[in-house]
Amino acid sequence: MRERLRATLSELLTSTTGKVGVAFLAVMVLISIYALTANPVDFGDRLWNNPAAWADNPKNVPPAWTGLFQSTRPVTHSVLEATEPTETRESTRFVERVYALDLDFPYDEAPTFTSFSLEDVTYQERPPSVSLEVARPDGRTVSLYRLAVPAPRAGESPPYSRYESTPFRVHLTGEPSVAGEAAAFLREEFGAGAQGGSLIGRVDEAVFGTPDAASESGFRPLQGEYRVLVTARFRDEADSIGRVRFVVGGSQFGLMGTDSLGRDLARGLVFGFPVALTIGLLTAIMATVIGTTLGIISGYTGGKTDIGIQRFSDVLSNIPLLPILLFLAFILGQKLWIVIAILILFGWPGMTIVIRSMVLQVRSGQLVEASAALGASRWRIMLRHIFPQMAPFVFAQMIFFTPAAILAEAGLSFLGLGDPSIPTWGQILDQGFRTGAVYVGYWWWVFPPGLLIVLTALTFVLIALGMERVVDPRLRTVRQ
Amino acid sequence: MTAELMRVEDLRVYYQARKGLIGSVAVKALDGVSLAVHAGETLAVVGESGSGKTTLGRAALRLVRPTGGRVVFRGEDVTHLPDSRLGAFRRRAQGVFQDPYSSLDGFMSVAQILEEPLAIHGVGAPRERTEMIHDALRDVRMSPPEEMAARFPHMLSGGLRQRVGIARALILKPDFILADEPVSMIDASSRAEILYLMLELQRAYDIGFLYVTHDIATARHFSDRIAVMYAGRVVEIGPAERVIDEPLHPYTEALIRAIPEPDPANRLRHRPVIPGEPPSPTEPPTGCRFHPRCPLAIAGTCEVVDPPLIEVRPGHHAACHLHPTPEEG
Amino acid sequence: MSLLEVSDLTLHYATRGSPVRAVDGVSFRLERGQALGVVGESGSGKTSLSLALMRLLPSNATGYGGSVTLDGQDVMALSNDEFRRQVRWRKMSMVFQGAQSSLNPVLRVGRQVAEPLMLEDGARKAQARERTLRLFDLVRLPREVADRYPHELSGGMKQRVMIAMSLALDPALVVLDEPTSALDVSIQAQMMNLLKDLKSELGISFIFITHDIALASDICDRIAVVYAGQMVELGSADDALTQPSHPYTQRLLGSIPRLASSEPPQFIPGAPPDLSEPPAGCRFHPRCPLAFEPCDRAEPPVAAVRDGHEARCWLLTEERP
Repeated sequence: MRERLRATLSELLTSTTGKVGVAFLAVMVLISIYALTANPVDFGDRLWNNPAAWADNPKNVPPAWTGLFQSTRPVTHSVLEATEPTETRESTRFVERVYALDLDFPYDEAPTFTSFSLEDVTYQERPPSVSLEVARPDGRTVSLYRLAVPAPRAGESPPYSRYESTPFRVHLTGEPSVAGEAAAFLREEFGAGAQGGSLIGRVDEAVFGTPDAASESGFRPLQGEYRVLVTARFRDEADSIGRVRFVVGGSQFGLMGTDSLGRDLARGLVFGFPVALTIGLLTAIMATVIGTTLGIISGYTGGKTDIGIQRFSDVLSNIPLLPILLFLAFILGQKLWIVIAILILFGWPGMTIVIRSMVLQVRSGQLVEASAALGASRWRIMLRHIFPQMAPFVFAQMIFFTPAAILAEAGLSFLGLGDPSIPTWGQILDQGFRTGAVYVGYWWWVFPPGLLIVLTALTFVLIALGMERVVDPRLRTVRQ
Repeated sequence: MTAELMRVEDLRVYYQARKGLIGSVAVKALDGVSLAVHAGETLAVVGESGSGKTTLGRAALRLVRPTGGRVVFRGEDVTHLPDSRLGAFRRRAQGVFQDPYSSLDGFMSVAQILEEPLAIHGVGAPRERTEMIHDALRDVRMSPPEEMAARFPHMLSGGLRQRVGIARALILKPDFILADEPVSMIDASSRAEILYLMLELQRAYDIGFLYVTHDIATARHFSDRIAVMYAGRVVEIGPAERVIDEPLHPYTEALIRAIPEPDPANRLRHRPVIPGEPPSPTEPPTGCRFHPRCPLAIAGTCEVVDPPLIEVRPGHHAACHLHPTPEEG
Repeated sequence: MSLLEVSDLTLHYATRGSPVRAVDGVSFRLERGQALGVVGESGSGKTSLSLALMRLLPSNATGYGGSVTLDGQDVMALSNDEFRRQVRWRKMSMVFQGAQSSLNPVLRVGRQVAEPLMLEDGARKAQARERTLRLFDLVRLPREVADRYPHELSGGMKQRVMIAMSLALDPALVVLDEPTSALDVSIQAQMMNLLKDLKSELGISFIFITHDIALASDICDRIAVVYAGQMVELGSADDALTQPSHPYTQRLLGSIPRLASSEPPQFIPGAPPDLSEPPAGCRFHPRCPLAFEPCDRAEPPVAAVRDGHEARCWLLTEERP
């Protein structure tokens, strides 16, 4: 048996298609291992489908590398963070801590958004206040936001904690008060008659630009070194802030861009690898194991057992799979394991029917007779003499079955019946279609998952083609 | 003559064959055969295809369950023993099969093939087994045994493969071996070599052989007695040379005359042949089954009365109305 | 003029290793109305010889060459298409080993015999039918058999149908590749009698390929013994069977168990060589009990033993390498 496997593998690696297929598979396995070690197991629930986790990402932006092909310089997404103050000023009444965040801004456009967050505030008696200002390269400073941390509630005892588990976050771009502040800044500094209301959603253009009547938006981006200043005013020496964060929303993001929720598609796609392999291999292995076992038993035992198994597999293989999958996903809920179980349940009969006919051929051969004459039990004959003759075929079928299972799951996800707790390529594709990504040209959202599904199927088909020589003895050269 | 080893009595094996869409019909592969194999003796069973000779061999090894009759091995009736109680019989009665290519597992080395019977019957510790395997290979003249044991069947010629098949049958030191056409797929120039080897092993280990063959010529040289089968019956049985030199049954005689010998004069004359073809095993002829083809058939007798197998000369039996029982004659 | 003259025919097969030299320089002649027996063990290249004659080459065939003159025509000069239209089946037909199983199970056998007549000869249906029935008479099959399906026929009857098919276009030469090996001895004897009749009645020539030299003696006027892709002895049936010259032929005859004598058969130790790596010198020398000094290093020349009888052995020639 070991000898066989080794021979099979070496035969596989002599063909070009086999080599390419195995190389692809190796890459897929490596990515899967990375995906499983770099992400929590409950990636789907905790991160992927949790909008809060992606709040600070730009929405619907293409991959970062697309900037290489543009003439203007797009904004790179940057997250500025500080946990320690850069400066501390003390007076008799306050302790002022300044968190300065430096930002190099060489871009030809305004950020898509800006946001500010505050984490883990602790105070002893009276709540601190926090203010946010941006010092621009032209020497002007714009004050954007002021926050009074909520006061203690009745029954609470010091020290008081705020924003410990969920950070305080303000989306500056869409915040009316920020728009008002920005309008005031414009009036004071440039004398322009901008109204606060009109700046909602466009705050960043004002903060990161100078008014310019000639440009379409009315602002010209101002390049240079910015400094974001977060000043916290505490009443007590022991009060503290865990972390401040200022996010400059890029017009591009990561390796694969983001979707409409700001999700990093690269992470979803990477997590799709182990999921796809699990679906494909688990289904294929289980279906072939069941199919082969029943096929061998059916073919070798004959009689009523044979008829029973064959009729049962006839029935199963004649039930249309897709409607059943839709129906059961509807009734039993959208669970990945149910999909896998159904694919296995409906996957084995074809295998059983083929294996049985092969066994019938082998059974009439003299090997079986000779073994029976030696006193070998039927189990021994099936396991030691019949199975090895089926093994290369079984192995090849298993590989052929793998992409079929992956495609079936992708199809189901695409129909909106995927398991929401486990992101798959099919689901990403489905969401892309559902939000109209195709029509507005968000190619990075729909193209990569589709390509990966095809590529995975291709990988297994290539391996199976490489196996052809192993399975079909006419193509095999004689081993001397 | 030495002790009786294996005896079949009135053995019948019928198969159900489909006829048309729903009907079924009994194929009488073996229809009332009685004979015995003695220790250290080779009994050749000679017949054409459909004569039931292969079924007889399979039934003797209990590879098929007889429809009727008995198989008695060393005094024990094994006809209806369940598989679970056949262990001792399987160990003492072995088989060598026709096709040296398909009867060996191509995925196993020679050592693994020979270890299989030891493993099945739990014989010997691992180290002893290696020794037994080497002994068996030496017995069948495959040397050096260490090197041969490591080979795989596809690396061996047909003759060597069949030796592995013989070694596998021999390794459990059986009393009885069924040799079912052991040389029919082997080159003519190597056949005698295999047969001599079997003869030698038989003498060395006092094994009883049931040698099933279509080749009456090898039966003459390599067996003690010959049983000639026709349409599921034994028509003649007796000492090998007597059966060939003085056949009692017209079928035996025709069979012998159908065998070509390398003689340049052959091409100048027609070979005497039996007309027609063997009967269908589903509807054998009435009376003597050979009568439709028999040149000597006695009208009014042969197609009516089924002739019994009777001892015509000492140890030489025939089932033919030309050799009537004393009462009849 | 001989009907068939073959000289230096070769047919090799490409494999991953060195090529298999299945037919390696075979030369012989066949006269009209005569039968040549080609006798050899499995793997001696005898079936490849028939494929080379019929130009039915497997896809991995290489080194196909030599000269074949059939009825005065150099057939090796013909293109594959010309060969198929002019020679195959028309002048030279073949009955394959195990051909009974090549009958189409869903067509009546008469129809299958008539097919080449209609396709190749352009005969109309009624003519083809008439001719088919006459072919059935020729092979001693009752005419009604023509309307049966293959599964209704016995092995012997199917083989007769195959012979009828090979005779359909009146060939001068029929190559028979083990035509009786799947048949029982009593049916085999019937078949050999039929072939004898066809030979004498129609004056057809046969090339009779078999592993059984005794069977070859039943019909063949001349016998060629092949070993490892080469012809080692070629002579009249009388000479080859009664005074064999080559040690291989002698031992092959000795390995046949005789019914008439109590002398036990002999055997040739060892196995035929691998045709991709035949032994140096004489290919039989590793198994030959008479091998001497030149045998393992130089290939023996074809020596004329008697008139029309030649053998490839160093014992039969004074020449030395």
